[in-house]
Amino acid sequence: MKNENRGQIRIIEAFLAVLIIFSSFAISANLTVTQTVTNHDNLASTGLLALVKLDSDGSLGKYIEDRDWAALRDALNLILPAGIAFNLTVYDGQMQQVNTDVISNCGFSSEDIAFVEYVCASQGSNFHCYMIHLYLAVAA
Amino acid sequence: MPTISIDTFFACSLMVLLMISAMAGASKLLYPHINNTVDMNIAERYASVSKYLLLNDGTPSNWGQNCQGVPETIGLAKAGSDNPYTLDIDKVSRLNNENLYAVSYAQIFTALEMPDVSFRIEIEPVFEVALNLTEAFEGANKTSYEFEILTEKQGFPVQAELKFYVIAENYLETSHACVSNGRTYMNVTISNDVNGPALLVVFARSVSNAEIVSFSAYPFAHNSPEPKPKGTFLRLSPLNYTLNASLIYPGINLSDVYALSFNYSSTLTQTANSSQSATYNIPHFLDPSPTLIVVTGRNSTSFFTEWTAYPQIPLQTGANFASSTALSNVFAYTYLVTINSALYKCTVWLGGPRQ
Repeated sequence: MKNENRGQIRIIEAFLAVLIIFSSFAISANLTVTQTVTNHDNLASTGLLALVKLDSDGSLGKYIEDRDWAALRDALNLILPAGIAFNLTVYDGQMQQVNTDVISNCGFSSEDIAFVEYVCASQGSNFHCYMIHLYLAVAA
Repeated sequence: MPTISIDTFFACSLMVLLMISAMAGASKLLYPHINNTVDMNIAERYASVSKYLLLNDGTPSNWGQNCQGVPETIGLAKAGSDNPYTLDIDKVSRLNNENLYAVSYAQIFTALEMPDVSFRIEIEPVFEVALNLTEAFEGANKTSYEFEILTEKQGFPVQAELKFYVIAENYLETSHACVSNGRTYMNVTISNDVNGPALLVVFARSVSNAEIVSFSAYPFAHNSPEPKPKGTFLRLSPLNYTLNASLIYPGINLSDVYALSFNYSSTLTQTANSSQSATYNIPHFLDPSPTLIVVTGRNSTSFFTEWTAYPQIPLQTGANFASSTALSNVFAYTYLVTINSALYKCTVWLGGPRQ
């Protein structure tokens, strides 16, 4: 390399360094993963506690056995904090959907959706086991 | 000066500027993330503290029932309960400042053993019942009162079964349950021979789940002057299924005392009395409902009613964070808790200095 070109190479190096450092800034500005995980955790624990409380006296199993989807939706709507949207699906042991109606209070407009999986056993004379999938989001 | 020297000088200056701007930019960009990580750690710590308060029974485990005892470590859970977030009726009642045996904020703060954490605990029914007297129709022998009853959760109507009781001097009327879609009107008719003030007590039980129960009480004038505010004559302290009724001033005579729940009602028997207080046994109702205790009596001139709930809710105890959010990290955690088979909403506020 000729001596008179060495300074120009250093300028190119400097511009390359500028490019690398500012691109790393642009990438790091989008690092907000921790917050999202915590919001998910809070929503999921709220949903799980609601299902546990409904199941503690056998109400949850009774709603499913009686196919009383309106009562299940109303109960969830009442015990979940205001401003939380939910969508619940009940599956039987063969993972076939049991609920014929939609058990939800409104549509999901948020991309931040938490998921809770809960196993519920009926307390009737015929034993049945159900898998419940509950999706939760903060309503817009 | 040769061209190479100018280029090198220019490149070096650019690198120095770049390094300085990189350091400034990096600190500005990363500060919120570093700060957020600290906040997230605090949030997780406070979440653990709030769960600890509701999942542990404290030391001694029966500190709620021992009216003179102060907890060594605080915890509100019912001892030996299989279900999580099941609270002890007496520990909850001792958080209420209206109770004669209430533990003070300083005592709870010491028992929490976390000198950098302030807290506030609020426990209330899952939904609200509001009562409004809309009209009164006075007849020759009877007077009818029309009440508006609202059952709502943060402004949204709640479908509920209603049961009401009307109490006046030597008078207890019980209604049949009726269903409300969130707003209903109800008539109460009382004979003009009955002395007031009267007290209307309404229990509301969610149609979708029998464990979700709320209540409200409304005193109103009937053959009497306007009722005095709650707590004018007596301080009521239910604890360990015993009611202590402390007289605010002498010359008060107590008469009938009632325990009311959604399905049951009972007249209480006095077990002891003195010049300053009287005690009554509270029955264990097999009912997922709070028990409302109504004490009637007379001061020198007039009849009165005083009431309280057992568990003694709604309650708010602890620090007031309303004006301190700018200088401190304050987090609120809401849980669904069970007290005597009924569901309530419990909000735990925790705060400490901003780091």
